[in-house]
Amino acid sequence: MIAEKNPAGPRLRILILDDEPIVCKRLKPTFQKMGYEVETFTDSASALARLRETTFNIVITDLMMEGADGMQVLLGAKESSPDTQVIVITGFATLDTAKESYRKGAFDFVAKPFKLGDILDCVKRIEEKQRGTRLPGPDAQP
Amino acid sequence: MLRVLKNLLAFRRHPKKVLPFSVLFKKFQSILERNNQILELIADMGDKLGGEYVFDRRYVEVVTEKLGDLVFKLISDLSILNQRRNTELFIACEHIRQAIQEELSGKPVLTTGKSVLPLSVLGHELTEQAGTKMANIGDIRNRLGLSTPDGFVITSHAFSEFMQHNGLLAKAESAMKYWHDKDDAALKGLADEMQKSIFAASLPRKLVAEILAEFDLLAERLKLRNITVAMRSSASGEDGASSFAGQYETALNVSRDQLIDGYRRVIASAYTFKAWHYRLYRGFHEHETTMAVGCQVMAEGLVSGVLHTYAPHLADQVMVANAVWGLCSPVVRGERATDTIVFDRTPPYTLRSLLVADKAQRLVLAPGGGTVWEDTPEELHEAPSLSEEQMKNLAEAAMTLERYYKRPLEIEWTYDLAGNLQILQSRPLRYWGASPASEEQIGNATRNAEIVFSGKGFVAQCGVAIGEIFLVENDADLEAFPHGAIMLARHTSPRYASIMHKARGIITDVGSATGHMSTLAREFRVPTIVNTEVATSLLRTGDEITLDATQNSVYRGHITALDRFELIEEEVFEDWYEYRMLRRVLKHISPLNLLNPQGDDFVPAACHTFHDITRFIHEMAVEELIHLSEKREAQYLSAPKRLEADIPLGLMVIDAGGGTTCPPEARSITLEQVVSLPLHELLGGLIGLGMWCTDPVPVDLGSFMSSVTRTFSSSMASPKEIGRNLVVVLPDYMNINMRLGYHFTIIDAYISQEMNDNYIYFRFLGGVTEFIRRSRRASFIAKVLEHFDFRVEIHGDLVVGRLKKLSLLRMSERMRMLGGLVGYTRQLDARMHSDDDISSHAELFINAMKSVIGG
Repeated sequence: MIAEKNPAGPRLRILILDDEPIVCKRLKPTFQKMGYEVETFTDSASALARLRETTFNIVITDLMMEGADGMQVLLGAKESSPDTQVIVITGFATLDTAKESYRKGAFDFVAKPFKLGDILDCVKRIEEKQRGTRLPGPDAQP
Repeated sequence: MLRVLKNLLAFRRHPKKVLPFSVLFKKFQSILERNNQILELIADMGDKLGGEYVFDRRYVEVVTEKLGDLVFKLISDLSILNQRRNTELFIACEHIRQAIQEELSGKPVLTTGKSVLPLSVLGHELTEQAGTKMANIGDIRNRLGLSTPDGFVITSHAFSEFMQHNGLLAKAESAMKYWHDKDDAALKGLADEMQKSIFAASLPRKLVAEILAEFDLLAERLKLRNITVAMRSSASGEDGASSFAGQYETALNVSRDQLIDGYRRVIASAYTFKAWHYRLYRGFHEHETTMAVGCQVMAEGLVSGVLHTYAPHLADQVMVANAVWGLCSPVVRGERATDTIVFDRTPPYTLRSLLVADKAQRLVLAPGGGTVWEDTPEELHEAPSLSEEQMKNLAEAAMTLERYYKRPLEIEWTYDLAGNLQILQSRPLRYWGASPASEEQIGNATRNAEIVFSGKGFVAQCGVAIGEIFLVENDADLEAFPHGAIMLARHTSPRYASIMHKARGIITDVGSATGHMSTLAREFRVPTIVNTEVATSLLRTGDEITLDATQNSVYRGHITALDRFELIEEEVFEDWYEYRMLRRVLKHISPLNLLNPQGDDFVPAACHTFHDITRFIHEMAVEELIHLSEKREAQYLSAPKRLEADIPLGLMVIDAGGGTTCPPEARSITLEQVVSLPLHELLGGLIGLGMWCTDPVPVDLGSFMSSVTRTFSSSMASPKEIGRNLVVVLPDYMNINMRLGYHFTIIDAYISQEMNDNYIYFRFLGGVTEFIRRSRRASFIAKVLEHFDFRVEIHGDLVVGRLKKLSLLRMSERMRMLGGLVGYTRQLDARMHSDDDISSHAELFINAMKSVIGG
C-alpha cells in the first residue's frame, strides 16, 4: 500500500480561525505535516479580510467569537468562493447551532473537545468529495 | 401566632422527618449515579492530556465547573439521605473549588510553603516552588532514571520570604517604569543598589536553620563528612521557553559555612543589569521573578562536557559532544580547546568523527572552595577524553532526554571519579540557522512511503518515533529491551513502565487509551498507539519503522522529515499553558487520599480532592441506608437482616417490599427466604458455584504489605462499623454495594419477564495491591464481562459493565455468573503474577461457567 496524498495535484489550502490560540497551534502543524498549506487566525476580522483577498479550499472556524461569529465567517467564505468547504467547531454544541450551520452550507460540525483524527477525517472526506466531483466532469454528482 | 412559632420550633427540634423508604432509596440511587458520572468525568479529563484531543481553556473551565456542580449535588443528596447538614463536606468541596478557581485564574496559592525540598521529591509538578531548572533535574533523576548529583533546592517560597523580610521586593518594582521610559542609567543604578542590598541583607533565622539542616541531611545520605555543593539559579521560566543561558551566577564547590553567602550571591545575580534587562526584554513581570536556588553535591569530574543532540550544521542525523578533562565549566564558557566528537543520533550511535585537542590543563575543585586550573599528566594531553563505551552511554542518555523533552537539547554532563555519567543540566537548544523540514519535503517523504497500517486503534500519546521494532512477549524480552527501540506487544501492561525511559514508541494489538499503560506513556511522553489489532501480525523484531502517533500511521523505513518536523515545532504541546493548567487542576480532582474507611483519617476534613469526597460519600450513603433500616427511620421499612451463609459475606439485606419472605422483625435471613430474583441468582453464583476461594491465598510480602492497610474485617462485630455490605431488594430488583477482600463492587439489576426493561449494571473499583496487579485484575474482569455480552469500559482501576434487554433466563444466568466472578476475584490480584495470568484465569473462569450456564 502506498500513501496517496494529493498525487501531483496542488496542495489544498486551509484557513483555521479560533480565538483560542491553542486550537490553531495544535491544528496548524498537524495539517502542515499532512502536506496542506495552512494559515491561522485568532480574530474573525483578519480572517474575513484574508478570505476576501484569496481563496481557500477549506475553512475551519470556531463558532462563538468576539466580533463576527462563525456563522458570519461561514457566509463570508461561501460568498468569496462557493466551492470553499467550511467545518464549524464549537465548545457549545447544540442541535440548533448544528442545524443552522448545515443550513448555511457547512460541510460538517465538530464539537470541542475533538480528536485530531476526527478533524483530519473530516478534511479527507472533503478532499475525496472534491476529487470525486472534479474528475468525472460536468455530469458529476452534486 | 405563638402556637405557629412553637410548632415551627418544635419541628426544628425534631428535624428528622420520617420519609418513605422509596424516596430515600431514590436518593441513594441518585448518589450512585452521580458517583459514576464523577468518576467517568475525572477519567475523561486525564485522557485529554495525551495530545489526541484538541481542547481549549474553556473546556477546562466548563468541565471543572460541571464536576464541582456534580460534587455539590452529591453532598446535597447525602444531606437529604442522612438529614444532616454535612457542613464539613460542603466546606471541603468549597476549598477544592476555590483551589481550582485560583489555578484557573493563574494565581495559585502555594499550598506547601516549604523553604527547602530534597531533589528526590522534585519533578515538573513542583516547577513553581523549585524553579524550572531544578524541576527538570528532578524529572531527569526521578522520572527518567538518569543520574544527577544529589542535592536539594532552596525554594521560591524561601526567596519571597528572604526578599520580603528585607523589604527588597518593593524596591524592585520601579524597574518596570525605568524599562518603559527606556532609562537604562536608572535601571543600572537600581541594579547596583539591589545587589548591594542583597549582599548586606540577613536571612530569617529559621530559613538559615532549614537550609543548613538540609545540607547536613545531604551529607548524611552521601555518607561523607565534608561535602561541597554547586549552587545554581533555578528561576521561574529559566530553561523553559526563555533560556536565560548564562544570565545568572553559579557558585561552585561551596562548603557548609559558605552556603548562606553563596545563596545571596546567586540571588543577587537575578538583579544584575544584564539579567534584569534580559528579563524585561522577554516580557517578564516583576512579580513573576522568583528565584529558587539548586544545591547539588559537587561532582568531581574525570571528564566533562556539553552535548548537542542535534547538529544540522555538521550533518543531518548526528549529535555532537565537546569534552575536556576535569570539570565542565570551561566547555560551557568556551575557554579552552576541547575534543569534538560527532556521532549518529540513532543506535548504535556510530562515531562519525573525532577531533582530539591538546588538553594541557584541566579545571578541578580547589581544596578551600572554588576551582583551580592544574596541569594534566603528559600522556593525557592528546588522548581522546571519552572511551567508546562512555560515548555510547552518553548518546543513550541524550536521546532519552531528547525524547522526553521532544526537542533538541544542550546537555551538560560529567563522568565522575567513580565513572558514572551524571547529567548536570539540560536545556532546549534553539536552532536559528537550521531550516525546518519544509512541508513539501514531508509531503514527498510520506507520499512515497509504504504504510504498514493507518487509522487503526487509539492514540494514547501523540508524537513521532523512528526506530527498530522490538517485540515483547515475556519478562525476558522486557529485560533485553534495547535502548531506543519501539516496543511492540499484544497487550498493554503497566509493567512496561520499566522500559518506558528506553522506548521511543509503543504499539499494541489490544488495549485502551484510558488504561494504566496509556497513563504511563503520557507521563513518559512516549508516542503510543494501542488496540491496533494488527500490529503484531504485520511487524516483527528488527523492522525499521516510523511511528507517527499524531496522524495514527505506521510507515516502513525511516522518515526523518517527520521526526525533524516534530523536533522543530515551536512548542511542545505538553508544555502549553492549557495542558499545564489541566494537569494542575487535576491535582485537586483525581488523586484518592481516603483509602481506608476504617482509618481515623476517613473524615470529611481529610477530603482534599473531588475524588476523596465522592469516595467518602459513597461509604456514608451505604452506611446511612443500613442505619435507616436499623433505626426504622423510614416509613414502610423493615429491619435490616443479616444473611446467614457459609461464607463470611457480612451482607445486610434491606427488603423494600416483597423481596424476601421473612417476617419484618426478623434480624436474619436464610438463602431460601430470598425472593428477589437478581439476588437469588447472584447468591447462587457466589455461594453455590464453589468459586469462593476459601483457601488462604499465598500472598507474597509485597502485596501483603500493600493490602494490610485495608484488609476487610469479615467479623463485623460492631454495628457501627463503616463499610458493611448492603443489598436492597424488591422481587425483581436488587442493588448491592459490596466490599470483599480488596475490592468494591456495585451491582444494580432489574430482571423480569419484560425483556426490554431488563438491565444489569456492574461496577468494580479499587484494590490495594500494587498498581500492576490491580490492573491485571481489571483486565481479567473486563475479559470475562465481554465474553458474557457486557458492554465494558475500563478507566484505570474502574471497570464498568452494562448489559440490557436480554430475556429473563439469560439475565438470570449472567447474574449467577457475576456471583461466581465476585467470589473468584475476591483475592485474585494476589494470584496475578504475570500478564499471561489474565488470559489463563479468564479461560479458566469461562470454562467453569460453561457447565453452569453453557457459556
